[in-house]
Amino acid sequence: MANPAPPRPGVALIADRYAVEMGRLLPPVGGLAAFAATDQTTGRTDLMAIRVQRHLPPRPRTLQALSTPIDGLLTPLAHGVTVAQSGSSEEACYVICLAPPGPNLLARPRPWPEAELLECVLRPAAQVLEQLRARGVTHRGIRIENVFQSRPGQPVVLGSAWAAPPTVGQPALFEPPYSAMCLLAGRGEGSIADDVYSLGVLLLCLGLDQAPLAHLDDAAIVRRKLEVGSYAALLGDQRLPPVIGDLVRGMLAEDPEHRPSPGLLLDPASARSRRVAARPPRRAQRAIPMAGVEIWDARSLAQALAVEPEAGVHALTSGAVIQWLRRSLGDALLAARLEDLVRHRALDSLPSDTNGDATLVMRAIAMIDPLAPLCWRGVLLWPDGIGTALAAAQATDADVSLRLQELIALELAGNWAAVRPERCDFAVVRAEARQHHAWLQLSGTGGGEARLCYLLNPLLPCSSKLMGGHWVIRLPELLLALEEAAGRADRKHVQPVDGNIAAFIAARSERRLDNELMALAGGAPDDEACMAQIRILAQLQSRHHKQALPGLAAWLAEQAGPVLATWRNRDSRASITERLQVLAHAGFLAPMLALVGDPVARDTDAREAQWASAELGRIDAELGQIAAGAGSRASLASRLGQEIAAGVGLAMLAIVLAAVAFG
Amino acid sequence: MVWLQGLLCGALVMLAPPTALLMGVLLGPAILAALLDGQPGRPKARSIALFGMAASVDPLRALWVSGHTMPAAAALLGNMHVLGTAWAAAAAGWLLVEAAPVAVRATLEAISISRAARLRVMRAKLAEEWQLDPVGGDL
Repeated sequence: MANPAPPRPGVALIADRYAVEMGRLLPPVGGLAAFAATDQTTGRTDLMAIRVQRHLPPRPRTLQALSTPIDGLLTPLAHGVTVAQSGSSEEACYVICLAPPGPNLLARPRPWPEAELLECVLRPAAQVLEQLRARGVTHRGIRIENVFQSRPGQPVVLGSAWAAPPTVGQPALFEPPYSAMCLLAGRGEGSIADDVYSLGVLLLCLGLDQAPLAHLDDAAIVRRKLEVGSYAALLGDQRLPPVIGDLVRGMLAEDPEHRPSPGLLLDPASARSRRVAARPPRRAQRAIPMAGVEIWDARSLAQALAVEPEAGVHALTSGAVIQWLRRSLGDALLAARLEDLVRHRALDSLPSDTNGDATLVMRAIAMIDPLAPLCWRGVLLWPDGIGTALAAAQATDADVSLRLQELIALELAGNWAAVRPERCDFAVVRAEARQHHAWLQLSGTGGGEARLCYLLNPLLPCSSKLMGGHWVIRLPELLLALEEAAGRADRKHVQPVDGNIAAFIAARSERRLDNELMALAGGAPDDEACMAQIRILAQLQSRHHKQALPGLAAWLAEQAGPVLATWRNRDSRASITERLQVLAHAGFLAPMLALVGDPVARDTDAREAQWASAELGRIDAELGQIAAGAGSRASLASRLGQEIAAGVGLAMLAIVLAAVAFG
Repeated sequence: MVWLQGLLCGALVMLAPPTALLMGVLLGPAILAALLDGQPGRPKARSIALFGMAASVDPLRALWVSGHTMPAAAALLGNMHVLGTAWAAAAAGWLLVEAAPVAVRATLEAISISRAARLRVMRAKLAEEWQLDPVGGDL
């Protein structure tokens, strides 16, 4: 990621190389604004810059894995931050990738002939998917308007899907039903089999003369796919060329394991011969009403339970679901397992325990349909999409964000995986769930949900209000943003390291600053929090930003009141305040930290303060003694006066006796 | 002690009646003060006695020089100068024992007030310099 460079008028640079031309708007990519871009080093102009949305961060692992280009794919070339508009100081993040070589496939008349589908669509796309699989990443953006062709008869090129979480912008039609039913940002990276599914839908759309299920909304499409199977749902009563039909049938299998691999699709003949007999969903003799619809099969039942968890709890605990499974669907084994589950729930926890009810529904769904995603209180997602779902929910839906936090706090992903261990790597899912829970549990200003969100989304920008228009992804940029914020913030009352920034630093500094961040936690004395703040920013400056930051330094000097107040000696305090102002003017935080945190000087100050306190006590005691000593002084005066009188008398007697004796 | 003093006085009366008579009259105020002074050690009577004794030395020497007789003792007692001097000395002793404690007390109070003022100045300076309790209770 490059630091923002000074933009030329109308042009902003990414990675000091790619110029984003704000004036040349391209068709949006998956709902994200796109601009023309040029490579200033090579002069290449067939590039585009896709603007990232703040709460939908790009895919870091995919961006890294695709650093080497793949033919037939609009691979990402760079990503970085620059100005959002020419002449504006607001920043935005862009992903630079190759521009489409031609129009998308929507522009081509349909249906396509079988040979062209095989040669121009299936083979090139399968080749790309095979390379993606080899690199351990997925595409998750194959849809008709994101696949391009330079001209008819040429191999298609898969579009960009890197500037947002996987499947953002992907309609339910092109997604497997178990992905489409999830939160938009919670579908996760998925597997290459999900891309094979999308490719299958693409082939089907191109092979038909009209778009399938065009009259249905996303929820209805998911229901339809679950009820009759994706292939039957999408094809309806239309017909595909025989080879394409056989291939698409396999590619649209509900079970990802039943779909052909991209490598197999490179040879359509053998892929066609490897037909998996996908059983249609077993249909019950009579329907069970749920979530306002009539359910005829187990998959739809699981989906209805996921969408309407409250009704699902009632249906499960009342025995209606179990009875329906046993009598109408004829699946006695599943009914018995569910019965055990419900009985354990009744024995294990209190009836008022709503988490217990929600867990029951979640486990029941996983039991009824092991292919279904994790479902918690109406929120559906795949465990590898928790991070992006959390980022999106934080910005848009507090309720969903709360449910996601519950899901993490209860380590439900592990619980869910335990019910369907044959469908996932149970140990990995459980370990990740525990790790997420541990991060969420981290208390203090820099802990909790915000920190977890930054940890799970390495390219998520800091969302503190102090960032203004800055797009801060890394720690060096944070200091620059704070330097600018110093000019407009109320330095007396606003702290430079607020909760959000603390979480961001904690997540990006890999626990190196945890001790200091803990001191920022609520309840810590003001002086300790202030010192921690200076220490954190000084460390960041020494590690990441060697230039002076006079604004931030002055801000910290303004905030240093509580620390300065801990210096007991008035003269020392005045001297340190004066020197702090001088150091703040220079803009380096480490000397400021050394000044206010000098252990030797502090020790001397504390020791002398102790002496002063003892001296004050001694003076107070003596004053008290004087105030209370009137009686004793009177007594002493009386005694002394009498002794003086006796002494004078004795002296006179002695003088007289001497005078008599000698005279 | 009292019986010893009584014994000594009795012995003096028996062995030297003129001396006893002269001393008894000249030290009359001291004897009276000893009877009235209830303080331990009778400090006032002691002071009056010492002053009275200082004034009685010369008449006692004169009694013994003149032969130590009762008429000589009576003659000395009849001399108003002798009696006046002895009783005036006793009065001076009484005055001194009454005035000296007052003077001493006044001196001690002045010293205390001066010390307290100096301490308060020191305290205020320390408190200001070290951010300590600036009031210091009711001192």
